Amino acid sequence: MFKNIFKNDEWKRSEHMAVRECVGYYLFTHQLMEVTGEEANKFLDYVFPNNIATLAVGRDRYTTMLNEDGEIIDDVVVMRMDEDRYWVSTLYGTKADDWFYYKSEGYDVETYEITEDWHMFSIQGPKSKEVLNSILSNGVDDLKFFQNRTDEINGIEVIVNRAGFTGEKFGYEIYCGVDDADDVQDAIDRAVKEAGGKEITEFQVFAWTLPTEAGFYYMRDLAHTNPFEVGLEKNINWDKDFIGKEALLKIKENGPEREMLGFEVIDENEDFYIRAKQYGGPGEPIFIDGEEEEIGRVSKMVYSYVKDVNNGYMLVKKGKLHIGDKFKIHGYDCIVTEKNWL
Amino acid sequence: MLTRLKTRKDLMTKKIDERIPANSGEGAGFKTFNAVQSPWNKLMSYQDALHYASRFEAVLSAAVAQAYRIIIPDYATRASEMCKEAYARLYRTGLYYPNDDGFGIHPFMCGSYPGALIGDKGDDALLMCGRCQDFGTYRCEKELDVCDWDIVGSELCRATTMSLQGQADATETRHRKGHKLDYLMVEAKGCGDRHCRIIAESREKYPAPEHELWQSFGPAVSDEYKKFTPEEECVAESMMFREECDYHFVNGTNNETDSSNQMVNLSTAASLYLLPAIDNAVKLGYTTAENAEWIKKCVLEAAGKAMFGERYAIKACREWLGVPNTIGEDGRLLGGVIEMLLQSLVCGYEIEAFNKDEVIYVINRADLAITGTQSLCEAHLYMWNGMVKTLVNAQWSVWEEDSPKGKMRIKIAKKIDKFM
Repeated sequence: MFKNIFKNDEWKRSEHMAVRECVGYYLFTHQLMEVTGEEANKFLDYVFPNNIATLAVGRDRYTTMLNEDGEIIDDVVVMRMDEDRYWVSTLYGTKADDWFYYKSEGYDVETYEITEDWHMFSIQGPKSKEVLNSILSNGVDDLKFFQNRTDEINGIEVIVNRAGFTGEKFGYEIYCGVDDADDVQDAIDRAVKEAGGKEITEFQVFAWTLPTEAGFYYMRDLAHTNPFEVGLEKNINWDKDFIGKEALLKIKENGPEREMLGFEVIDENEDFYIRAKQYGGPGEPIFIDGEEEEIGRVSKMVYSYVKDVNNGYMLVKKGKLHIGDKFKIHGYDCIVTEKNWL
Repeated sequence: MLTRLKTRKDLMTKKIDERIPANSGEGAGFKTFNAVQSPWNKLMSYQDALHYASRFEAVLSAAVAQAYRIIIPDYATRASEMCKEAYARLYRTGLYYPNDDGFGIHPFMCGSYPGALIGDKGDDALLMCGRCQDFGTYRCEKELDVCDWDIVGSELCRATTMSLQGQADATETRHRKGHKLDYLMVEAKGCGDRHCRIIAESREKYPAPEHELWQSFGPAVSDEYKKFTPEEECVAESMMFREECDYHFVNGTNNETDSSNQMVNLSTAASLYLLPAIDNAVKLGYTTAENAEWIKKCVLEAAGKAMFGERYAIKACREWLGVPNTIGEDGRLLGGVIEMLLQSLVCGYEIEAFNKDEVIYVINRADLAITGTQSLCEAHLYMWNGMVKTLVNAQWSVWEEDSPKGKMRIKIAKKIDKFM
């Protein structure tokens, strides 16, 4: 009736599994903000709830960005490039640009969007280390997770960053100048194919199916949530002042009202129809026995090619559902799961 | 007769009848967008005003579509020319006025699939509510439950698809090489279908023979993945008017927009597609400029007359505007209708006269020429001249007179013309 756009798509499956079993690469240029100045460290430590002050040069850190209500307005990776120079990798550049501009008043910092100057290729999967070692002058054997440094590919200066959005143990990002992107891509493409991998071209694979299997969030998943609801409160530094702290302390005291849970569709009818926020709009409402009102909405509905199950996220009222509970969404049988399918 | 007319004109005082409050009708919603207000203080909510303006402009557009059909009678030729014109113009617009950030299009989104984000947001702004069903590099699907433009004609359905293709192709040029999608409108409310459904698919993944621009109606190769929403689950309002979306349009790439700028940004089928198509038909030699103008005048006046051909329509209009019983058959009735529309379109205007003998508005042409289509002003004038014949009576006319630069000064008054 509604043929499953993931399960039956061998194109998506082959790209997804290339990353899980071998290596895959894709253009994944985010928006990039550069923050410089003597107080860059102090400013970013105020803008982000996680600890930026202790970030060493050449290291990265993942953090949420909150508004004054403690609501997540973005989740980013902060990269310390030099003593007083940081990159912030975001997928909400327009908002981050304005936010940084207004919040930096009183700080000795400059903020610029430098997206147009850079491209980023993500190389992910078990053989990614082998691929990177074959094309980089210095290799990546000693590169730690969330560490970045300058290197060269065929004489072209690049920045290699060990990071990724797939949950793979080995995954790297290559940043290069826009004018060098063709040459850099040629080198990556050749090495990846020699290793038996392929280019990942499907947005749904690199933005949805791969990250979801690892429990990662993407854009709309986090909109209008707070860190406690989505499990991103663990690395918050409560000993410093940061935007949204006051509101977040109240949430901490009272406990979150909602929680993000994983689920699988276990209905016999594999060609089901469940709307999710990932396409925009409100997502399918979730009703359970004994509750008159909806308890939440479906945030994401994709497919785990590793486990061969239809998996997703849902944002529901805290305590209404527990791991292992069976329930229905839009009439289809589902089960509550952890948010990890690897 | 001429003497009598001159005398009558001289007697007109340019007086503005008293209103309570005195600024009634100035456009209560101009700054706050809370409401629009009739000359008799009847308020219409922002939401209703947007719906009203959208539907009125759709009716006007449907009339312009009939004019276009007269100018190019053959369906295939007409649809083809309209699609080519729409594609070329929107491609140029997409090239010169890029707004990737405004649609949530990110730097890694190569190819033409991000065009679906442009269509998705545009639909919601035009009150064409529905849902995105698929969004990927090789396939996108959008389903609409409502479309005010569904009365205009299937040529428009084809042309809107091609304008989206133009925007998508323009977006593609700003990114690294990606995969091209073929945008198809496989169902269209304008053709009697329950939904409008755009499916965009890559010919690399879903091979199909090439087709002309105007033939972008499907069927889609990937039809088996289609998600059909049943009647009982359809929506009637855009996301920006739905509580479940916190009164915001929200797409999957985290773009959020509230309704506050939609009235000022309302586009119409006539201004965006049909009038440019007629101008293009003149350029291509299908007719002369004079004849095209004549056909538009004839069709739009007839459409205007049809609006109030039945007495119950007049009664309903009076009630809707809050017209007091003390006001009989005169030009103020049409004045009220026009003011409501102008306010709903956030079109600036001044009231030079508003009394039982004459009503004069000085309208900002730039505001009424929605999306910069100047001939939309004349299209409204023709329609209003038709409307006044049935809403008031055949003694009354609407015409443009002594317009200052950049303005359209229209007069609603009695007029005798033996060649009318």
